[in-house]
Amino acid sequence: MSSLAEMATILLAPKDRDPVLGDLAETGASGWGALGSVLGLVVRQQMELWRAWQPWVASGVAFAGSVLLLSVSFGLSVDSRHLLRGERGYGSVLCEALLMLSWAWTSGFVVGSLSGKTRWVSGILCAIPCLSCVLRFQDNSLSRLCVLLFLLPGVVGAVQGVRRARLSPMTALTLATAMTALILVWGGMYMQNWFLYLPAWWLVAHAKRSPPNEKVAA
Amino acid sequence: LTKVPNYLHNAVHIMLGEFEYVLITVAAGLGECAYGAAIREEIEKVAARRCSIGALYTTIERLEKKGLLKTWMGEATAQRGGRAKRMVCVTPKGLHAAKKFYEAMMRVSRNASWATGKPGRAS
Repeated sequence: MSSLAEMATILLAPKDRDPVLGDLAETGASGWGALGSVLGLVVRQQMELWRAWQPWVASGVAFAGSVLLLSVSFGLSVDSRHLLRGERGYGSVLCEALLMLSWAWTSGFVVGSLSGKTRWVSGILCAIPCLSCVLRFQDNSLSRLCVLLFLLPGVVGAVQGVRRARLSPMTALTLATAMTALILVWGGMYMQNWFLYLPAWWLVAHAKRSPPNEKVAA
Repeated sequence: LTKVPNYLHNAVHIMLGEFEYVLITVAAGLGECAYGAAIREEIEKVAARRCSIGALYTTIERLEKKGLLKTWMGEATAQRGGRAKRMVCVTPKGLHAAKKFYEAMMRVSRNASWATGKPGRAS
């Protein structure tokens, strides 16, 4: 048995490692053949995951959410600067900050709950617009990292989504209603902002269909 | 009122794929000795086709999710470098699905030229 094949089994689920290595040892597979068998299984397992709709939706939310939240983060940074100069009120910036936090958290939660095992793809799809935006950032008065303000709440949401998969109906409904009320107060009712509500209302619909605390993530 | 005929009375509830059927049949034949390497060897011997570890384990996982197979960790042997086996058992639901698949194939093949031995139409 090649040590390369043994190393490649890190890519497999822990329950599959021993049986696969044992089968390879039993059939006398070694070297590149054994490595090819393990990698073949890894590729097939990944492809199997993409037969379901959940990873596709999660990838879409990760990419679209990332693009939209980049501009929201930039807007919040600009408004915070205006606040420090006394050109903006506290209430407006606070609303904007809360909305950004909740949009990022709910989007991350949905991505995490839908794509537990394909989260690396969702992560890459979220990172591409972030990287592109940071590299092209041209406003010298702000740090280029200001567009990434949404990342931390988004990642926290994704981690919680992987662990919990769904919220209780009451929590989800309260969150979605509060977010909707917040945008009505703030007044930023742009088309792209409404897209960011979809994850919150999806959590409401998903919570209603089945009892909470039941792990269903892909 | 005329009675509407139930054309779906023989419908296969869980339609298996061809490889899924082969795997269930081989696993059922091996009985208590069914595990990854043994199933793979048997498929290659009986069906005369190559069976990769990837195809085998992803299919076992899919069938287990459908409730057609049950797996658990078995004993470790020196021949396997002290590694455990993943034992496989066909569930009653799996046996039923395989039986339905077999019957469906037999019905479909009833008038086929290769089944009757009569020359068929070729386009």
